[in-house]
Amino acid sequence: MTDRTTEDHDTVDFVEAPAPPSRSRWWVVGALVIGIAVLPMFRGMGSYNYVLQLGIITMMWISMTSSWNILGGYTGYISLGHNVFFGVGGYVAGMLLLELGWSPFVTAPLAGLFAMMLGLVAGLITYRTHGPSFIISTIALLLVVTLLMDNWSYLGGSSGLSLPLPGFDVTWLKVPFYYAMFIAAVGSVLLGYRVQHSKFGLALRAIAADEVKAEAAGISTRRFKVMAFALSAFFPGAVGAIWGYSLAYLRPVIFLLIAIAARMVLMTIIGGRGTVAGPVIGAALVIFLDEVSVTLFGATELNLVITGALLIVTLLFFPMGVVGTLRERNKLPAWLDWD
Amino acid sequence: MTLTAALQITILGLLLGGVYALMASGLTLLFGVMRVVNLAHAAFIVLGAFFGFYMWDGLGIDPLVSTVLALPVFFVFGVILYRLLFPRIEGSPRFTEMTVLMTFGLAFMAEGLMSYFFTGIFRSANPPYARDAVILGDIFIPTGQLYSATASAVLLIGLWVFLKFTRIGYGVRATMQNRDAAQIVGVDVRRVSTISFGIGMALAGAAGSLVSFLFPFFPSRHWQWIAILLSLIVLGGMGSLKGAVIGALGLAVMAAFVSDVIGPVWAPITFFGALFVVLLVRPQGLFGKKVRA
Repeated sequence: MTDRTTEDHDTVDFVEAPAPPSRSRWWVVGALVIGIAVLPMFRGMGSYNYVLQLGIITMMWISMTSSWNILGGYTGYISLGHNVFFGVGGYVAGMLLLELGWSPFVTAPLAGLFAMMLGLVAGLITYRTHGPSFIISTIALLLVVTLLMDNWSYLGGSSGLSLPLPGFDVTWLKVPFYYAMFIAAVGSVLLGYRVQHSKFGLALRAIAADEVKAEAAGISTRRFKVMAFALSAFFPGAVGAIWGYSLAYLRPVIFLLIAIAARMVLMTIIGGRGTVAGPVIGAALVIFLDEVSVTLFGATELNLVITGALLIVTLLFFPMGVVGTLRERNKLPAWLDWD
Repeated sequence: MTLTAALQITILGLLLGGVYALMASGLTLLFGVMRVVNLAHAAFIVLGAFFGFYMWDGLGIDPLVSTVLALPVFFVFGVILYRLLFPRIEGSPRFTEMTVLMTFGLAFMAEGLMSYFFTGIFRSANPPYARDAVILGDIFIPTGQLYSATASAVLLIGLWVFLKFTRIGYGVRATMQNRDAAQIVGVDVRRVSTISFGIGMALAGAAGSLVSFLFPFFPSRHWQWIAILLSLIVLGGMGSLKGAVIGALGLAVMAAFVSDVIGPVWAPITFFGALFVVLLVRPQGLFGKKVRA
């Protein structure tokens, strides 16, 4: 239970390391990434702004779910309050813009670091809890932060703050946001990949499998859990900064609805917890379903019902998600196997 | 603050705490018996509140009567829901976590359906006693709160009698203490779980009917309540009924003081603040055993 054994964690190698990935499958992924990167150059295509906005939203969710996956997937600690970091990032960058005039494009990493610090504190408060108590404390964290934001007049309280619009030409307005989200999405997927292929990730998976045995094997579970919590807070904070700027408006309900945390959970679980590709696929799938359901039913409360029903159906019938289920049946196409 | 004011606040806190205790009892019972954390519990309390509201508004049935009517209705509903959802995940190695996620989804479904059918506006049943008060010297006791606290106490005592003196109650308590051992000595654990889920739901429905005239409610209100209730049961020690009741009464009084001194907006902070303090000092809760779930 002490820290003394932490130096030994490098010797933990009881889990078989994944086979080195074959290079060929990266062609598909690379082509996809390049395709997404050059998309904004096709100014002439129909509904340009709609496509870009959809891209912004999808990449934002990819970034958030990939981060959530570090804690909720690899470590097995489910946070239902992770949008706290999203909101804090948005507000930190927004206040830096209002008070000092610094652009959120520049301060987004700062907002991410700030969110990370908060994640560290949250991790230090909750590391002694397991399972349900942990989940409950993350919900409590969300409600505490919501209450503070709703009543902190400096931050505009529940009615929020307006941000100045970025001074770009309107026709290109979405492009910088698109690339900012692109960087965040690629960055968080790469982070997920790094975690998956490191001793750190191995320790996290050991904690998820059996925390007592992990501890007995010399892994400082406390340190790794707190680190995982902090690490998983960075990108939500950074994308929160960009998202708030793109809306030019900050309000607690934009960031802090528990439904936003629910979507991170839903997307990761649908895609496949504890895999690199899972959150990406989950995010894309849920955003797609969203667009379909909004087209069919309009934006009503039924969206909440669909979110809930999808979560239940996924848990009941394929709890390992798309990637996990396909892999179990040996039908996972190589270009989706990013682990 | 004068002594009278302090007494007044304490009494109001205790009355409210009684209702919180009833609201939390179903939740803690489910965790104790089945290791199910029901995040949809408060959503079903809101459903119970709509039940009480429409019974009063449409049929003129007193919410206190609806409280009794809600028991069988919600019991059956709970049993059906249990049979639909839980058998499939019963053998899962991460059962508790699965139940959290599943009831999380359930809470969204319930919230969405209630918003769709009953709309999101504030509602409140207003039987004549809801705005009445009993005045004892300098102390002022709202009749609605007095009735609801009394009804909660009656239901909680009923639950205690059921657990203590009936055969099914023995089974429930045995399952709470040690699920495997209970099974070995012949308790039908699955039946006990089904019944407990039904009882948990019945308590939610009954608590909802009481809430219908206590607070204004709307479908998304349940997140605030569930957070408070979950804080209560973590505080009391998960699965401990005694802990839930004592936690509810104690914290409700504290929240009433916070509300008076700092402002009503900050009252919920009491519950979350207490939760974080307890997590730091005694993670298993005040009356909890050390359990690794």
